[in-house]
Amino acid sequence: MAADRVCILAWLRRSAEVLHEQRDYLTTLDAAIGDADHGINMDRGFTAVMDKLPSVAEADIGTILKTVGTTLVSTVGGASGPLYGTAFLRAGTALAGRQELQPADIVTGLEAALEGIKARGHAQVGEKTMVDALSPAVEALKVAVASGESLEEALYAAGAAAEAGMQATIPLVATKGRASYLGERSADHQDPGATSVTLLLRAALNGK
Amino acid sequence: MAVGLVIVSHSARLAEGVVELAEQMAHGNVRIIAAGGTDDGALGTSLMKVTQAIFTADSGDGVAVLVDLGSAALVAEMALEQFATARRQRVRISNGPLVEGAVVAAVEAAVGASLDEVVTSADAAVELNKLSKRT
Amino acid sequence: MATIQKTLILMNKVGLHARPASLFVQTAAQFTSTITVTSNGRVANAKRILPVLQLGAEYGAELMVVAEGDDATEAIDALTNLVHSRFGESE
Repeated sequence: MAADRVCILAWLRRSAEVLHEQRDYLTTLDAAIGDADHGINMDRGFTAVMDKLPSVAEADIGTILKTVGTTLVSTVGGASGPLYGTAFLRAGTALAGRQELQPADIVTGLEAALEGIKARGHAQVGEKTMVDALSPAVEALKVAVASGESLEEALYAAGAAAEAGMQATIPLVATKGRASYLGERSADHQDPGATSVTLLLRAALNGK
Repeated sequence: MAVGLVIVSHSARLAEGVVELAEQMAHGNVRIIAAGGTDDGALGTSLMKVTQAIFTADSGDGVAVLVDLGSAALVAEMALEQFATARRQRVRISNGPLVEGAVVAAVEAAVGASLDEVVTSADAAVELNKLSKRT
Repeated sequence: MATIQKTLILMNKVGLHARPASLFVQTAAQFTSTITVTSNGRVANAKRILPVLQLGAEYGAELMVVAEGDDATEAIDALTNLVHSRFGESE
């Protein structure tokens, strides 16, 4: 089955709820290796997104995603603002004008988001960043869609892969972003960015 | 006119303070615009503020963007990417330190230096010794 | 075309620091002559702020200013006045 605008809006609403619920958790993770503001920043950004969504409730999916992107870049504050902002903007551009998304379109959108984050942050897999969750998620989604699994199954696979990637950031030494200032001391901590990516992907299932 | 400057900081007050300092150096001959804080006034950087500041600072001779930490540079890069080619080619982000870079860039711009010269000088401001005895 | 050279002593408290240096550079930049300033054994283009700041010229330091060009005399006069006025500082 396909995902229409209503599904996308529901996912964004669920994402905002999850980020609000998990705000302190994300901030605690960030306190260990960052500026202790990731939860606060993401919650503030998605609260602003919620305020903005009614103005694009009748728009196509590309426009909705681009609006999320521009809102995040002007409200999140930390580096996750331009990173998530770029992700949503690139996905929105890749899906411009679409009224509904087939599973393959979701792969296209998430691939664009991943490439955007990698380009903006000059990051690769293994550097203890958002990329470590998003990259395996995109791969898992692609494989699931290619083998004809349902959208729910494919999203479940993507969420599980993101979670595994997120957990795999724990032993890593950060080489990108604020945590890289800590060098070896960044090891033994779960990356907050990889965690918020996982929460957002998981919200796609819960939103149904 | 002259090359304009945009001061991007996570703090609105810090950005305004750097503008104040740089303006004193330029004696009102240079457009120096602050882009600090998020849209709702929190600590952080805002694409909208940075974009608007670049437009305001641009008199046609180009804009040098000075940034503080981390996401400030990312947001400045995003701002550039949305511009049409002509404008993008006359906006440059400096890797220089915020305060020294802004002061040096302001004076360079005030004496009519080109965008290239302004940015090169702002970048090189990292070499300034703060403690005169350590030259 | 003339070459004028003059040695000036910095009598303002902070020396050729940020604000005085910016005034110095902006004054020099008003002239077409090539102007250099030498202090502490370093030579700087008087129209560029960074090298002028890097002279590290402090209170009491000697500045040797050399101007070469059609308006060299006027340039040296203006820079002399600026230094002698202590860059407008109160002391």
